[in-house]
Amino acid sequence: MTWRHARWTAQHPLPIGVVERAAVGRNVNAGDVIAAGVALGTAIRMKGARRIGLPAAEMERELRVAIGAEVTAGTLLARTGRRFLRALTAPIDGRLLHLTADGDVYIAPIVGRWVVRSTLDGAVTRSDDARVSVEGVAWCIEGAAAYGPDAIGELTLGVSSPTEDLAPSRVDVRLGGRIMVGGARVSAEVLTRAHACGVSGLVAGGAPASGLRVVYGETVTASGAPGRDDRPTVICLIAFGGAALPDPIYRPLVALAGSRAAIHTASARLFVFAPADAGEFAAGELDLALAPDYASVRALGERTVNGEITFPSEVRTGAIRHGGEVVPSANVRSFDTKR
Amino acid sequence: MIVSTGDEAPVEEVRVGLGRPLRVALLYGRDDATRHDVARIALAAAARTCAVVPTDDPRSFGELAQAFRDAAPDVVLVGPDPKRGAAMAVLLEALRLGCGTQLPAPRIFVIADPRVADQLRPAAVGLPFEISSEVGEVVTALRAFRRGAHKDLTLRDELIDRAARSLASSSGGDALVIDVSEASTSCVLARADGLEAAHLAPLGLGAAADHVVARAGLDRVRRWLPRAIDAPALLERVFNRALWPGALPATEAALALEMALAREAIAHALRDAEDAGLDVAAMRAAPAVLVTGRAASFPRAAQTLLVAVDGLEPSGVTTVFREPDEGRAERVALVVSIRPRRYATVLLTHAGGRMEHRVARGSFTLVPISGDVEVSAKGARVKGIGHGGALGVLIDARGRPLLLPKRDAERIPTVLRWHATLRALPSQGAA
Repeated sequence: MTWRHARWTAQHPLPIGVVERAAVGRNVNAGDVIAAGVALGTAIRMKGARRIGLPAAEMERELRVAIGAEVTAGTLLARTGRRFLRALTAPIDGRLLHLTADGDVYIAPIVGRWVVRSTLDGAVTRSDDARVSVEGVAWCIEGAAAYGPDAIGELTLGVSSPTEDLAPSRVDVRLGGRIMVGGARVSAEVLTRAHACGVSGLVAGGAPASGLRVVYGETVTASGAPGRDDRPTVICLIAFGGAALPDPIYRPLVALAGSRAAIHTASARLFVFAPADAGEFAAGELDLALAPDYASVRALGERTVNGEITFPSEVRTGAIRHGGEVVPSANVRSFDTKR
Repeated sequence: MIVSTGDEAPVEEVRVGLGRPLRVALLYGRDDATRHDVARIALAAAARTCAVVPTDDPRSFGELAQAFRDAAPDVVLVGPDPKRGAAMAVLLEALRLGCGTQLPAPRIFVIADPRVADQLRPAAVGLPFEISSEVGEVVTALRAFRRGAHKDLTLRDELIDRAARSLASSSGGDALVIDVSEASTSCVLARADGLEAAHLAPLGLGAAADHVVARAGLDRVRRWLPRAIDAPALLERVFNRALWPGALPATEAALALEMALAREAIAHALRDAEDAGLDVAAMRAAPAVLVTGRAASFPRAAQTLLVAVDGLEPSGVTTVFREPDEGRAERVALVVSIRPRRYATVLLTHAGGRMEHRVARGSFTLVPISGDVEVSAKGARVKGIGHGGALGVLIDARGRPLLLPKRDAERIPTVLRWHATLRALPSQGAA
């Protein structure tokens, strides 16, 4: 099955410096802020327990400001003694970051702010300083890989046929904040242009691997690259390079166009928030075949099992014929199969 | 996989796999010894290194904590420098800040004397903290983690270690096993004084092919291809292959790509092994080399031989074997690696008589003789005995390190000639 209307969970990892986050049980919509925090600069280590003459174990109790709180320069952090006062004050404006085992404290200047938005309509099921999980019902298709930060926006068709590539000229600032369906292929040029025009994300059959390396860095792999940086977001539904979108994938995209959608890059999922009866979607299996030279991937339509044959590489194995091409049966797998 | 267990129970099916991925962070002191300690354990346990942090890491405390959080390690291997415990304590504090809320919490293994390790314990309060000065003990614990609930699972790396020991005992000398599979690459040297093992995952010619390119670079893979292909097209093939675990190369081009990936995976595994202080020179000098996994399953034995010779760059007289996952072991060839100044004469003594071969520097020659062969040379330091195997004696005078011409116009004919020497490609005639 390609598209499924079901209950999903999306994990949202949080950076260091959380200030507030949604509580467990709170209902959220995709795009709502579920956590906010501060980006921190280089932290300063200050002598704590040693400075005010306390055993390290007692330092936490004596702190007058909670770990994680924002402080201004001169704020009293801890104090001991009556006649001979010994005090610890914040040397800079910033955030009290950490208390060490030997009673020292780290304080870091605040250099920015961040927010994390939900990629699902649903309820918060886990919330701590490391992540917020949201569970909810949506239409979903799981792609091969996704790159960039999570994206939320209105699903918009950018092509008029599933075999078409999205041309850079089709992308302009009027599409800002939307998730565009890019057909069989989106090039690096389209990716960067879409990002510059404020497009939230792109959905396509594939994207050229070399283009992905240009945009996301040389160390990018086929597993995707979720991130928090200000970069374009793209989800490759089938493979790398160009991959025409088969009917069971493209038709629902057409039917769901205009609905709110979200790309969750860590799981390479496209969520679309529409009623369960939004369209008549194919419920059957979709098989994909990797070309004999690994250059492309295509949907398998009419096929015949060819028995065992010897390929030009001299590999002898079971074969499947579709159209004019014969591929090893090992190179055919269901769209659902996980890597 | 079928494994013989003796006369009474002739065969027994065992489940072989890599187990669940184990993400490790390596924390070590400023000296090489502590770095080697933790890197060796990670390599021996086939762990995926997700963070490498020395005590003199220039990143700030907050950046380190964020790096640990992003890495989400299952296990943290700590190799403390006894004289700089305070610097290591700072790293553990950053780990605590970054991963304190991680579920399950990362397990910390300190590889040190208990007295040194105990000083670090307070900095890691709240995280599982174990101390061991025994490397084997830590490797066993990490493998148990990878096995998880599947107690009956035989880990692929354990099997390779066993194969190396077995080959060493049957050949009576050092033995190297090279395994290149879909998602992992191993180089294990068995010697009288123990094993030197480097198991790298993810790194392979299939599902982890993209990691070979990410680590080694696309040009290092492309240089082995015997025909021109532009970088974007090659990268697309590698990425698509990575999405298809278990795919088979149907064309010669796809086969050549898998061979290129296997060579670079081996070379990269050796680089990592060298970086961890393993004796790579001894690996290259091992008189017996067994190739296993997908690299041993290429249709022609010559393809396995070429991949092993190019990736390993052996330095002596080496008998090469191969054993596919679903097949029997076979002797492939005897490789004689020599470095003449200009020319050398190689003397091959075998059951059929004695042959002399004049070898020029840079040449790559296959002499089709089988059976036991005694090798000696005039004009180069090489001497040894081995078995010619199915292909014969391969005299490799290309030099070490093996350098390929940079320009395609020179490189492609050279690589094609090496393939032709062994008839490694189907288009070059019958095997």
